[in-house]
Amino acid sequence: MIKKAHLTQWLDRVAQGYDLFGPVLDGVVQFERVNSSDQLVFDYANSVVPPKNLFLPQTECLFAFRREEGSIILEPRGGLERERVLFGIRPCDARSLLLLDEVFNSDLEDTYYQEKRRGTILIGLACPSPPQRTCFCTSLGIDPLSPEGVDVLLTDLGDRYLVEVTTEKGEELVGLSQELFFPSAEGEKLKGEKGKSLEEVGEKIGSLWEDGYWRELSRRCLGCGVCTYLCPTCHCFDLTDVGSTLSGKRFRCWDSCMFADFTRMAGGVNPRPTGKERVRQRYFDKFSYFPEQYGVLGCVGCGRCSQYCPMGIDIRTIINEVIARGAK
Amino acid sequence: MEQELREIVRKLLEEGAIEYFIGYAEGFEPLHTTPCFIERGEQVQALVWSPLCPYNLARYLHQMKNGAGKVGLVVKGCDARAIVELVKGNQIQRERVVVVGIPCQGQVDLAKLEDAFEGVEAVEGKGDTFLVTVGEKVHSVEKERLLREKCFSCRHPISFEYDFVLGEMSPLVYGSESEFAMVEELERLPVEERRAFWRAQFERCIRCYACRDICYACYCQECIFESKAPRWLEKTTTPLDNQTYHLIRAWHMVGRCIDCGECERVCPVGIPLRRLYKKVEKEVEQLFDYRAGMRVEDLPPLVTFAAEEPALSSRQDRSER
Ligand code: SF4
Ligand code: SF4
Ligand code: SF4
Repeated sequence: MIKKAHLTQWLDRVAQGYDLFGPVLDGVVQFERVNSSDQLVFDYANSVVPPKNLFLPQTECLFAFRREEGSIILEPRGGLERERVLFGIRPCDARSLLLLDEVFNSDLEDTYYQEKRRGTILIGLACPSPPQRTCFCTSLGIDPLSPEGVDVLLTDLGDRYLVEVTTEKGEELVGLSQELFFPSAEGEKLKGEKGKSLEEVGEKIGSLWEDGYWRELSRRCLGCGVCTYLCPTCHCFDLTDVGSTLSGKRFRCWDSCMFADFTRMAGGVNPRPTGKERVRQRYFDKFSYFPEQYGVLGCVGCGRCSQYCPMGIDIRTIINEVIARGAK
Repeated sequence: MEQELREIVRKLLEEGAIEYFIGYAEGFEPLHTTPCFIERGEQVQALVWSPLCPYNLARYLHQMKNGAGKVGLVVKGCDARAIVELVKGNQIQRERVVVVGIPCQGQVDLAKLEDAFEGVEAVEGKGDTFLVTVGEKVHSVEKERLLREKCFSCRHPISFEYDFVLGEMSPLVYGSESEFAMVEELERLPVEERRAFWRAQFERCIRCYACRDICYACYCQECIFESKAPRWLEKTTTPLDNQTYHLIRAWHMVGRCIDCGECERVCPVGIPLRRLYKKVEKEVEQLFDYRAGMRVEDLPPLVTFAAEEPALSSRQDRSER
């Protein structure tokens, strides 16, 4: 346990030894680097942009290159200067990092991602109840009070937090201010509620490849990047060289399957020529391809796409529609 | 009013006057409506209208550009200006759209509503108030408290010849501030501070392009931001790239932005885009005495040339003095 009044003391101690990231108000709530705990906000539901950008930055320089006397010289970029601590990640987003680990760590290890992932300790914050109106993690088998995927989980119990430490790195962090922590009484762990399970969407969607629903949906969809960029599990990127053939930098930048140019080939052919194919792709990826490859649904129920879709398209409605229309 | 709307649409569809109708339907919860496309008479029950219908449905007219049939849609005063501009820009023909105008009572700002009430089930406009239903109770709230910012300065809820009008149109102007007050506030700052203000805003931009994609005026076949050869802008989101995006888009809105405010509404990271485009609007109005979206016959200033541009030359006189 730690008293609420002592949390900032602990975080300030953490900030001395690590690069501390946490929720700040920068126009909207975002996870950003802070020097001290007074920059942090504690009363928030979740960040707008998910914390994936700390591991897969929207714009990341991979290396610089230049030509010199007949050879090409590469200077690798990336790497962390200091170990980082991310405070305030929610259980759904912590789960999303476990999913991204599968992607960036399957056959080949993505060193840029892995370095940041290994070099970051996560202090999670269990979700307040009631959740936001767009939240539905419990329908996908995620517990909003679970320490899965974080090193330390804090659960708000009024004037104090229940502290669950799950890893050695978590122990280290708590050890920085051991005097602030005290043992908890029996049975103080809250129990999460389970929502109506929507997991059968994964078994049903396969039968709906030719269904008219995708066209219906795509008429409303503008094809912007809000849902994919704000999705904690969407991870597509594009590679771009900036500079000239003599010297420059190679970047990787987020990309979105909702954009028309995402699949456009050099010759102009586009295998996903209209909104219908693009919208279908997003949901097939989440509920069919991802589970096929990694054995788990590619959505964590954070609800950001429903909350921020410019046209009020709601992923839960889509899931329900798939379940209603699809066959096993 | 909803019933009247449904009847009009049913008739239009049954008589074969339109192929489909674009309106508002209930979304995933009472506070969220969503656009809908009605194709058959029996679907009209889905149509709703309330002060929670922010979408500028004229944006969807881009889809009919290559067809031949007719389409109907429901518009607020601000949205109607988009239709005028789409006609001017040769994107649609006036005879191909059946416009149902709604006497807009002002739109509710969701954030303000959520701050004020929990568990809202319905909102209705009535005179100077919004009636907000929460459970059994109906609260009457002064409009000023819940209106969207753009509605405070709405001067033209009746700027278009509609084919149908549901009820009586009346102009609605709230607040005494000029519609350019927020621009002038920035203009008074020293240039360095102004630059810092916008830089901080643009740095947050994630370039999701929702502001572009929702804009009725963004109908270029190939957007400059997507052109591969030449490549004007990379996907990188450095402060300079983001600034480039926003300044180019602002230039492209000269004489075209109708202040529907949709771009600002959809920006997930809260960039005050209306201020940017209001600045453009203000300059155009002062230089050319022109407002977008007023009448189909008005010629946009950037597609015409007058040797004696009255507003321009008076400005020149000033600078020569
Ligand atoms: S700007 Fe005018 S017409 Fe548009 S929503 Fe507001 S009050 Fe209605
Ligand atoms: S909607 Fe906002 S974040 Fe997205 S591109 Fe526009 S300004 Fe940037
Ligand atoms: S720039 Fe924004 S306010 Fe102007 S017309 Fe486009 S979406 Fe509407």
